[in-house]
Amino acid sequence: MKTFKKLIISSLAVLGFFALSVNANAACGKLVIAEQNWASAELMANVDKVILEKGYGCEVELIPGATMPTFTSMDEKGEPDMNPEQWANAVYTPLKKAVSEKRLIIANKAPITGLGEGWWITPGTIKKHPEIKGMTAMEILEHPEWFPSKEDPSKGAFVGCPAGWGCQLANANLFRAFEMEKKGWVLIDPGSAAGLDGTISKAADSGSPWFGYYWNPTSMVGKYGLIPVDFGVKFHSRDNWDNCVTLAEQDCADPQPTAWTKSEVNSIVTANFASTGGKDALKYVKKRTYPGEVMNGMLVYMADNQAKGSDAAIEFLKKHEGVWGKWVSGSAKKKIKAGL
Amino acid sequence: MEFFTNFPVMERTALMELRKGIDQTFRTFSRAYGDSIEAFFDPLLFFLIGLEKLLLSTPWPIILLVLAALAWFGSRSWKLALGSVVAFILIGYFGMWKDCMATVAIITVCTLMCIVAGIPLGILMAKSNRAERAMLPILDMMQTIPSFVYLIPILMLLGIGKIPGLIAVCIYAIPPIVRLTNLGIREVDKEILEASTAFGATTMQKLKSVQIPLALPTIFAGVNQTIMMALAMVVIASMIGVKGLGVPILRAISNQYLALGLFNGLAIVALAIIFDRITQRYGTRIQKHRGQKK
Repeated sequence: MKTFKKLIISSLAVLGFFALSVNANAACGKLVIAEQNWASAELMANVDKVILEKGYGCEVELIPGATMPTFTSMDEKGEPDMNPEQWANAVYTPLKKAVSEKRLIIANKAPITGLGEGWWITPGTIKKHPEIKGMTAMEILEHPEWFPSKEDPSKGAFVGCPAGWGCQLANANLFRAFEMEKKGWVLIDPGSAAGLDGTISKAADSGSPWFGYYWNPTSMVGKYGLIPVDFGVKFHSRDNWDNCVTLAEQDCADPQPTAWTKSEVNSIVTANFASTGGKDALKYVKKRTYPGEVMNGMLVYMADNQAKGSDAAIEFLKKHEGVWGKWVSGSAKKKIKAGL
Repeated sequence: MEFFTNFPVMERTALMELRKGIDQTFRTFSRAYGDSIEAFFDPLLFFLIGLEKLLLSTPWPIILLVLAALAWFGSRSWKLALGSVVAFILIGYFGMWKDCMATVAIITVCTLMCIVAGIPLGILMAKSNRAERAMLPILDMMQTIPSFVYLIPILMLLGIGKIPGLIAVCIYAIPPIVRLTNLGIREVDKEILEASTAFGATTMQKLKSVQIPLALPTIFAGVNQTIMMALAMVVIASMIGVKGLGVPILRAISNQYLALGLFNGLAIVALAIIFDRITQRYGTRIQKHRGQKK
């Protein structure tokens, strides 16, 4: 009897261990996710943390990051395991190489929809000049009188990029490519990110027209409802963009009119993520796509409340169940909801 | 125990509400009055743009000539006049002429504005102890508060461009001229003042013919300091869209272009030295003149 009992207990214990380890295996182990230093990346990293921990039983650690350092570390050291928002243009060639060598996996090709750089107008512009609605940039450029410059009201003001940013060169070259000077425009250098945002919020607050460069996803786009402007021309060619538009003026003799290059943002993971995280976690990352408006709404929430990524993640999970509910399996969803 | 180790803070939400409230109030204010304040500064903008255009459209040899003449009349020193011209030639040769003219324009207008506003303020401070007590902490604040802090409300109120930049520069640059005008007038010998009173001079006469002339060297030191501080603000002003030597410096900072930053930085230094020497020599010349009369 005693031996039998012992047998049962030990077999139970073994079973227990077995079950535990199976459970752990299925539910994935320890993962490190990069939390990059801007709002949308913070939010995504924190949402991933909550969902992977509560829904899939992973143990997730967030570490701070930024585009280049994070990528280099993932590529060279295989750590962190995931970067939820990797801007691919900056690391185009090495990323391609790492993917072909199976060190990195592009788990999601478009984690946020509607994102990218380009030219925008404020809603106040449409209110003042209703005919602008649906116009392409090419057509708007014929009407510099709609955007009178403060310093020379006979010219139209186009707000470019702050001095020193990569986009400053692109905007200056496009300014030449579209022959904007001849059409009666001046290129305004806002000097800094604060200056650029300042021009937008000032124009939006006073309802005056604004035309310039911005990018998405950002709280500015969400907060002021900036409207993207179609360029009215196709993307000319890689060669025109890479070897002229993005270079300094003296290196770009003859820029051609072109739409802005498509910004590619990926969620990339290491090979280790696939093995420790398991198929389910990978499936989640694949499905995880934030609609642009939802993301902008969250960014506005973060800016208005000066919220951290972790607070914003809880807010997102509470408010937008319809969005993230589709990313996860039914059982995981229940567990996440219970865990909030 | 916890009470003593953790400083009692305002409740988080209340603190946030407070911050949001302040932001909102200012936003409402700028929405209501932004346009009229902007319109108020329009003449100044017109003047600034005019000056910049004049400097840019004047052929460079004429500008060099004017510069040499100014240096000569200011300092009566051939060396200084020659040095200034050489410095400007170098600035132009290294492709910074346009930016340099934009900077000269804004510094000139800013200095004029500071003189027009600062000297009367300084006189007021010298005349009334109460005004001095009220002004001193404000001047301290203007000189020490980080410029980025007042850039935010200026941006919200006036947007970007020359006028907001000018105001930001003036906030930082005006205190020395106010302080030194005050000091200069207060330091005028009591006995000289008594003598003028004995001759029956009115307050206005005393101010005009005794106090200000005697305080002039000190006031000039103030003008000199104001110019120096205005030049130091050129880069900050560029952050809110002021053209000039600050723009390439910003570009250099964000891209680590050592040479570009160095060239433009040195151009600002050259401008500073030229302005400084000319005004300083001018100041000492007035003093010498007075010394001879004594």
